[in-house]
Amino acid sequence: MNTKLTARRAGVAVAMLAVAAAALTGCSAGSGSGSAAGDGTGDIVVWGHQGQDSEVNAIQDTVKSFNASQKKVHVTLKLISGDTYTSTVTNTPTNKLPDVLEMDGPTLASYAYNGKLAPLTGSVSKSTVSNATDGSIAEGTYDGKLYGLAQYSSAMGLYGNKKMLEAAGVSIPSSPSEAWTPDQFSDALKKLAAANASGKSLDLSESALNGEWGTYGFSPMLQSAGGNLVKGDKASGVLDSSDSVKALEDIASWKPYVDSNTDGNAFPNGRVALSLSGHWNYPTYSKAVGSDLVALPLPNFGDGEKVGAGSWTWGIGSATKHGKAAGAFLDYLLNDANVKAITDANGAPAATKSAFTAQSVYQSGGALALWGKQLEASCPATAITKDCIAVYRPVTPGYPVITSKFSSALSAVWGGADAKEQLTTAAKSIDQAYSDNNDYK
Amino acid sequence: MTTTTTPQPAAPAAPSAERRRRAPRQLRRQRSDLVAGPLMALPAMAGIVLFIAVPFAAAIGLSFFNVQLGSPRPPTFVGMSQYVRLFTDPVEAPQFLRALGNNLFFAAVVIPLQTGLALVFAVLLNQQLKGIRFFRTFFFMPVVFPMALVAVIWRVILDRSGSGLLNSAVDAVTGGAVGPHDWLGSGATAMLSVIALSVWQGVGFQMVIILAALQEIPEERYEAARLDRANGFQQFVHITVPGVRNTLIFVVLLTTIFAFRVYDQVYILITTAGGNENALRTVLYQATNAIITENSVGRATAISVVLFVIIVVIALVQRAVLRQRSES
Repeated sequence: MNTKLTARRAGVAVAMLAVAAAALTGCSAGSGSGSAAGDGTGDIVVWGHQGQDSEVNAIQDTVKSFNASQKKVHVTLKLISGDTYTSTVTNTPTNKLPDVLEMDGPTLASYAYNGKLAPLTGSVSKSTVSNATDGSIAEGTYDGKLYGLAQYSSAMGLYGNKKMLEAAGVSIPSSPSEAWTPDQFSDALKKLAAANASGKSLDLSESALNGEWGTYGFSPMLQSAGGNLVKGDKASGVLDSSDSVKALEDIASWKPYVDSNTDGNAFPNGRVALSLSGHWNYPTYSKAVGSDLVALPLPNFGDGEKVGAGSWTWGIGSATKHGKAAGAFLDYLLNDANVKAITDANGAPAATKSAFTAQSVYQSGGALALWGKQLEASCPATAITKDCIAVYRPVTPGYPVITSKFSSALSAVWGGADAKEQLTTAAKSIDQAYSDNNDYK
Repeated sequence: MTTTTTPQPAAPAAPSAERRRRAPRQLRRQRSDLVAGPLMALPAMAGIVLFIAVPFAAAIGLSFFNVQLGSPRPPTFVGMSQYVRLFTDPVEAPQFLRALGNNLFFAAVVIPLQTGLALVFAVLLNQQLKGIRFFRTFFFMPVVFPMALVAVIWRVILDRSGSGLLNSAVDAVTGGAVGPHDWLGSGATAMLSVIALSVWQGVGFQMVIILAALQEIPEERYEAARLDRANGFQQFVHITVPGVRNTLIFVVLLTTIFAFRVYDQVYILITTAGGNENALRTVLYQATNAIITENSVGRATAISVVLFVIIVVIALVQRAVLRQRSES
């Protein structure tokens, strides 16, 4: 009886292990599929995220005109909902990925690390690469190789209502070098709140802090203070450094002047005079505020103004058998006409040099000229200098953990938790993830 | 005997032959039962094995490995360390234990509150009034709303600014004596707010189940009670509650499982409404976060296994307690 029972138990254990092993091998299947350049002809599949209708139209037009312009390559475009796009790509085995795929900038490193992407060099023409902005290169380079090139980037900073700023007697900075110090900024918030019936003066989309917006919009302030998210493979001593902690405490101190903005209309309706936001709000804001809309720099925490940048970027799937054809499509996608079409559709700053210089709104005299200037001085988060303003998020396979932990900490501190404690915990979690994964080597 | 045309010698053999003939038929029927039973159970059993047993066994297996979602690298065996970390790691354990505590608090408040309210509503809506159907529909309506929608509605109600619905209501009632409160952001009220919205959304479901049971109670019992001069409360305690006892047990079991599954509203309020993450995190939130935002399959499965064990223990305890009661 006893032996029977143990035998049965052993049987169950064996069955369980077998199942687990099957599951594990299932996970690891799909590796080892190498890309091939092909002869530059053939049918290729392209995956893109489904954004606003105008963006969808632009990318569909691009594909249509590409197919019509030549006979060698035929592109089939597949659009996937933007909300589930990243998890779709993450969960797709490498050999099922398309020839060309779009991806959110900060996820590029983890795809490259997991062997889902092929380097672009050789497939994409040299002129396309040299026409890419520094930011586009910074965003697409992992481990010394170029894996992604972007059609557009993103621009952010403070929107101001000129009339309200002047009425409250607040000086308006007109260039990144004139950015407010944290003290000046707090002072401005106080004055503007006092001058407004709402008693508030700033909107920073606080309800979205515990998400990518938190890392994108607020980690640059840590960098401006001399802190950072990670340095090399370590967050401890960087993310929880006194500079980072001080910056986060400064951010949390603005809360009494911040409108919770549940309806999303705090700035257009004049409940606040300042909005920490990006180019995506330009159409709504300029319609509501008109010529009183000014683009301002973020506060300078000491090491020069820093802002977030980066957006969707394009790469080539590592399982492609038509690397050359895929490269030809990317060359077409990144030419002036197609970059102009997409940036006209979504208002984002172009990520190619020639298209960017042609965007009047970001060039001197344009409404967002100051933010355009910020983008011209860009750098990756690993090589921040005092002169660099637009900082591209860290290109590391550990980014999903970094952004999750940092935005959590930011949100907790915003809710009143201790900055030092939260950042220390976040840094430890990030370090743990790095050591669990052998530093993503 | 005399009328029989059957030859005599055959007569005694007849019954035995009949028996002999009948016996194999019975046997055959038994044998076909043996085949038919399992055969008919097969689709359901296969479903259970394929969709519950196998994934669960795989989850247990995966929890012993460090597996990253989408990684082509072979998983490394880490033994029990995922579990050990959940309970002892200085960074991870406080979060996980807090999530567990939040779940228990949620369950401890929601189970009695929601069952009690559902019973009260059901009794109220069990009256023969004009337009009672309207009220029944009205009370049941939140159940139809997806939790995501409910969370978004309540996000507006619980807005921290003075113009938030709840804050302006408090302001109007107290005449401005109490200032606006950050219901979701404050650690003290975040979970209570989520409990309020969860009960609001879920109570209609339990109410309908109890309502159906109430209508099964024979009217004669109430009549008899009235003859005995039992007042409304006495009728409720001695006739209504015992009458729906079994249904109440079912509702409590159901609510318990729901309470440990709480995720949607918590996730939405944390990521889109500035909800206090530490006060709102639940075990399922931790598991989902581990896999979706950090790609860590190993940790997510370890958390799920722990959650499974907890629910099994609670279910066993509940069953034991309830069985004891019904025996006594």
